[in-house]
Amino acid sequence: MTTATATARPTKPKTGWRTLGIVAVLAAITVWAAIAIGVDFDALVRNANNASNTLVQLVQPDYTFFPQTLPALLQTVQMAVIGTAVSIAIALPVSFWASRATNPNSTVLGIVRFIMNVVRSVPDLLYASLFVTVVGTGALSGIMALVLFNLGIMVKLISEALDGLDRGGQEAALAAGANWTKANRAAMLPEVAPSYISQAIYVLELNIRASTVIGLVGAGGLGMLIDKVRTFYEYHYLSMVILEILVLVVLLELLSSFARKRLAR
Amino acid sequence: MTAVTSRPASRPTAPESGLPGAGRPRKPHNMLRKAIWILITLIVLAAFWSVDISWDALLTFPQKLVHYLGLMFLPPAWAKFPDALGATMLSVAMAWFGTVIGIIISFPLSLLAARGLMPAVVRWPLRGVFAVLRAVPEVVIAVLMLSVTGLTAFTGALAIAIGSIGTLGKWGYESFESVDRGAIEAATAAGASKVQIMRWGVWPNAKPDVLAFWLYRFEISVRASAILGLIGAGGIGKMLIDNIQFRVWDVVGMLMIVVVVVTMLIDQISGTVRARIITGRWEVPIASALRRRSARRARALASPTVREDDGSLR
Repeated sequence: MTTATATARPTKPKTGWRTLGIVAVLAAITVWAAIAIGVDFDALVRNANNASNTLVQLVQPDYTFFPQTLPALLQTVQMAVIGTAVSIAIALPVSFWASRATNPNSTVLGIVRFIMNVVRSVPDLLYASLFVTVVGTGALSGIMALVLFNLGIMVKLISEALDGLDRGGQEAALAAGANWTKANRAAMLPEVAPSYISQAIYVLELNIRASTVIGLVGAGGLGMLIDKVRTFYEYHYLSMVILEILVLVVLLELLSSFARKRLAR
Repeated sequence: MTAVTSRPASRPTAPESGLPGAGRPRKPHNMLRKAIWILITLIVLAAFWSVDISWDALLTFPQKLVHYLGLMFLPPAWAKFPDALGATMLSVAMAWFGTVIGIIISFPLSLLAARGLMPAVVRWPLRGVFAVLRAVPEVVIAVLMLSVTGLTAFTGALAIAIGSIGTLGKWGYESFESVDRGAIEAATAAGASKVQIMRWGVWPNAKPDVLAFWLYRFEISVRASAILGLIGAGGIGKMLIDNIQFRVWDVVGMLMIVVVVVTMLIDQISGTVRARIITGRWEVPIASALRRRSARRARALASPTVREDDGSLR
């Protein structure tokens, strides 16, 4: 802005050119992407009328539909709770295998980490559609999809927490003649417990979001209901379901932020 | 599972402050904790007991899984690999374009939502909009937009754009607000206007974080675009769901390998660039590890008596 700042920054022209180059490359990628997906803003204008009809229906949720959504809502919560419970139980030992701080065997460490990386990079909806074809539609396939999806996240977060812990207690236990399992159990587990609980709450929150969606491919819960009402273009009902998801997610977010604040203290 | 989750409860914790008139503050607190743990256990048990599932399907699941895995990966149908690559490019294009639109829209909005530029009347409604957008999953946004554009890759990109406004908006104003106050104070003292304070006091400080968030959001968008494909928005997800529905398992296996490899690759690249933005140094994952290893070996050769042992690099 002023001459003072300009003289204090002699390298500016160079970085300016570099920034320009980076921006040009990024813009080129964006143009390529736009061509690839067939950007068609005209379609938005052409269908504006259609859209406004839908929007009008969307802002008037049909509250009388609420009793009919209750079973699906309950199933969503059940799936989220069971999925969380099972996955955090499995994630605890696996995280100890996946952390350098608690697993001295680098071969096992590498294998476990690689498997967890693979597990984590498959999207939840893909797990759900696979399990639906293998075990059939319903909550079971949804829960299994959630468990795998959570496992990837939980193990990553917990093993990273373990990596960052103070290892004095563990060292003392090892020096006193404990084996690694005992040392980890006595020294590392109590230390990691608070972050374990807080991540469990976070995963529950993720699960509520995810289990509203994985029903779209037939894995139970509110997603299945969304799929049903959207095929018949019943937007009054659809907005009621979305409203429920919103309320559920916001409630859980409040609860989890409260619980995590208490844990942090 | 109950045993695992209830373990931390029995551990004595630091006494909690703030309980009025408590000579022994630990005990009532533990009671509360126990009550919470019992409640959680009950909720979990109730969920297991009440959920409508025929659990005996689990008995045949392992052999079924082995059967299907065999169909998928012995061997995967590599003949369809070129198609898969094309579909992947479309998915990545969808994610990229959606993220760019999301950035263009969310950036000014997050500036307006940050403390210091606009009055609270503007700030709080904006934050509310971000919160609502974050709460609605992308897939639901795409389902809503079906009626407007039909289900195309463009719809998917727009859904990603709208979804990313919520997260990017929030991360944006949070990083604008968490910058060091010193530069802002200096700019204020020099007589800068509000816009100038934002440009010279806030932006240089927040820039690395904001750029890193953009990249991170792109990683999320790549996953989201695969998911949007599963409901029909095109790309790798659509190819996957089509082949699952027609039970062409060897193609499904190949596609899953492609999804996993591409996601991991993009995460690695994006993670490397993010680290470069934040730390200012290139730290390429495998190359750096190899360089460290060869440096260690060279040092060991130079002075074999000194034992090199930093467990962290094993």
